Amino acid sequence: MPGVVITGLTKRFGDVAAVAGLDLTVRPGELVALLGPSGCGKTTTLRLVAGFMAPDAGEIRVGDRVLSSPGTVIPPERRRMAMIFQSYALWPHMTVAQNVAYGLRFGGTPRAERDGKVDEILRAVQLSGYGARYPGELSGGQQQRVAVARALVVEPEILLLDEPLSNLDASLREEMRFEIRRLHERFGITTLYVTHDQAEAMVISDRAAVIRNGRVVQIGLPQELFERPRTRFVAEFIGKTNLIDAVADGAGSVARGRLRLRVAADGLTPGTPAVVSIRPHLIALGPRANTRTLPTGANTLAGTVLRASYLGDTVDYQIALEESDVVLRVAGPTPARAHAGDPVTVAVPTEACVLLPADD
Amino acid sequence: MAEASAASLRPGRLEGLDRAAPVWLLAAAALVMLILLPMGWLAYISVTGPRGGFTLAHYARVLGDPPLQKALWNTVVLAFWSGLVALAIGAPMAWLSARTDLPGRRIIQSLIMASFVTPPFLGAFAWVMLAGPNAGYLNQLYRGLTGAEGPLLNIFSMPGLIFVVAIYTFPYVYIMIANTLGLIASDLEDAAAILGAGRLQVARTITLPMVLPAILSGFILAVLQALALFGSPAILALPAGFHTVTTQMWSFFQYPPRAELAAAFSIPLLLATALLLLAQKKLLGRRGYAAVGGKGGQRRIIRLGPWRLPALAGCLAILACAVFLPYGILLKTAFARAWAQPLTTANFTLENWSFTFLHSATQSAIVNTLELGVLTACVGAGLATLLAYVTTRKLVLGHQVLGFLAVSPVVIPGVVLAVALFVAYTRPPFLLYGTLWILFIAYLTKEMPVGYSQADATMRGIHPELEEAGRILGAGRLRVLREITAPLARSGIIATWCFVFIGVIRELSASIILFSPNTKVMSVVIFDLKEEGQFGAIAVLGIFMLVMTFAIVAAMQALLGRDVMGARSSSGSG
Repeated sequence: MPGVVITGLTKRFGDVAAVAGLDLTVRPGELVALLGPSGCGKTTTLRLVAGFMAPDAGEIRVGDRVLSSPGTVIPPERRRMAMIFQSYALWPHMTVAQNVAYGLRFGGTPRAERDGKVDEILRAVQLSGYGARYPGELSGGQQQRVAVARALVVEPEILLLDEPLSNLDASLREEMRFEIRRLHERFGITTLYVTHDQAEAMVISDRAAVIRNGRVVQIGLPQELFERPRTRFVAEFIGKTNLIDAVADGAGSVARGRLRLRVAADGLTPGTPAVVSIRPHLIALGPRANTRTLPTGANTLAGTVLRASYLGDTVDYQIALEESDVVLRVAGPTPARAHAGDPVTVAVPTEACVLLPADD
Repeated sequence: MAEASAASLRPGRLEGLDRAAPVWLLAAAALVMLILLPMGWLAYISVTGPRGGFTLAHYARVLGDPPLQKALWNTVVLAFWSGLVALAIGAPMAWLSARTDLPGRRIIQSLIMASFVTPPFLGAFAWVMLAGPNAGYLNQLYRGLTGAEGPLLNIFSMPGLIFVVAIYTFPYVYIMIANTLGLIASDLEDAAAILGAGRLQVARTITLPMVLPAILSGFILAVLQALALFGSPAILALPAGFHTVTTQMWSFFQYPPRAELAAAFSIPLLLATALLLLAQKKLLGRRGYAAVGGKGGQRRIIRLGPWRLPALAGCLAILACAVFLPYGILLKTAFARAWAQPLTTANFTLENWSFTFLHSATQSAIVNTLELGVLTACVGAGLATLLAYVTTRKLVLGHQVLGFLAVSPVVIPGVVLAVALFVAYTRPPFLLYGTLWILFIAYLTKEMPVGYSQADATMRGIHPELEEAGRILGAGRLRVLREITAPLARSGIIATWCFVFIGVIRELSASIILFSPNTKVMSVVIFDLKEEGQFGAIAVLGIFMLVMTFAIVAAMQALLGRDVMGARSSSGSG
């Protein structure tokens, strides 16, 4: 089982570089999500890996085969890969079984064994008995499963998925996330998974690579990305957060106007600009009169509730900090403990204040 | 994986190559050849003197000669007025059928389609029998009713010509406007009404500006048709004693052929066509906003009230001129010994039919036409599909140029194309003049824009991911084209075939210059028979041509779920 090594990958469309010197290593058997907003170059990267496009610079290797480099691109049909498309790309003029069996014709599978393999994989995706149907006769979720079966049955070295769940409705999407993860654990194929949905990436992937402007800005376990984002972009893209532009005023603290925060860092040079990211759910909230319920050793700040929005499982507060232009988002448990206009005290634990470089 | 464990395997040069590339390049080369060779010769010969060397003498001659200037002017008059009349007929009919409760809208739509696919020269010929000054049926009727001496109508005149051209070109205007009106959702108009605009204000400030580009471009399309037409002017203008550019170019080819004059004379026509098309494209390019708002919106039907019947009568009067009367007189003539006499039992005969289908000249013309139709449609549909595949999938460098080249013959009137082909293929290395091949090439070139547009739409409708899914699973590009793309494109390709076939069997303006005694086709024979006064045989051939056309249109309609004018039927499925 080979891995994928991408180095310095670049693809330009006219003057715009969709992929700009992207480096990425996918370990054998690993599922890596390419995560980023639309237009960040994640789909282009996937299509370069598939061999649908030639790179302008850089290299794509699978194991020790160089598959793509400028000028020489092994065509897709000789890459031993499989791909699941956003549109599913099921052939409407072929039955489910014909769709699934298509790739077996080229992999050297003896004709006699093909039917058995098709049956087996259809069972694996819970579509036994659907072989004679046409794709048009299936629901969206079933079509999705056929696409998965068609890709898995050829036992590819590399599996590529391009936003495969974005055409499904919300509940089915959630179900299919677990399904894909289950199939990955069963077959263990090295996989690249493109998505713009961070929750999807977190459920499905071993590691996620956050992509921006055609480059990987951070790669790591989902938890690492969430808890220790290295850039402002990653902090904002993965989950909700409060970002405060400030200036270091001590080895372990920053200030913005009269607002002062002790942060999870030391050795800061006073006077250097810094950005602090604080996740809303890590901030505790209490009435102004009574601060005893709040954790000690945290930054305690006085503020006024601007708005409290009931979201079902949490309450989303907007709190204007006193003597500051900062409005903090705080996620608290239901029922709401404070309402618009109430004076409150918030406690921000030091370790919740993640320091990010200011220039991003 | 066990294999490929040597240090670092770089793919060989050949492994990276697209093995299907020769196919794409061949298709591209064929297209370039098809267009550039004759057009290059046309330009070359128009500026080359009798002993070689550059000269502008041919231009000076054709542009300085008063009769030729008159022909140019006649074409301008004909094109402008027939465009205007087509607009005056087409625009109200489009509005009536798209937005009102006019009774029998579907039937009227089908009849307009009948007028659309009627070969204009056939219509012109029918109108000779209807409104010729002496024996014309309508004039006989008029004399019989009023006892007058002179004719009521004289079709052999500029107004007559304009009329006949307009009744067969108004469907172009109709299609443009009806399709656009169909895209403008009533909520766009309602949005204005709710802001306080009155009905007239809504029409003036919302509806009209949105339809205006379609109106103008429909007008331009109609003008273009009139410019390029050869049959109707040849049948109506020549007996009236005047020439248009197309008939003049044809007369340059009466013995001895003066190709260099025809070439020089064709350049103004070519330029005018190109400019008009450019203008039309510009107008339509800005039309996008009409379509954007049109998705899913409901169209409100306007009640005509007491105007329903007058409006219907108006539509039927137009359709009587374009369809009922001409088809009626053709049908009657096909079964009559003397076409100008009433169809009594004494006058009834089947001789016209036996003459047409058994007489060797007409018989071989029918065979030639069908052979050419099938051959051109097969090659044309194949080539157009390949080219559309190459351009939509961006398979070769300069694919945009290919797309442009494929539709470029639109600007080449049939007569001009024929002059260019005559020049290109009467000399080595290609000596095709006098064979069916030169007609084949003419038809292939002339039908390429229609075929390509149809194939392009088909290819665009096939999601590239369907092909990519095949590639990544191990199928090469040609295999994917054969096993995935072609089956999915099947009905589109068959439609392309039909479009080309219909275009070929009715072609006159290029054929009339390129035929030789052994390679006559139906349209040319119809033209010849008119000189001989064999009206019965003409009617039979014309009916045969129409029946064939309608059969194919019906087949296509069933296949595409929409009619040839682009309107979807209710049960359609692409």
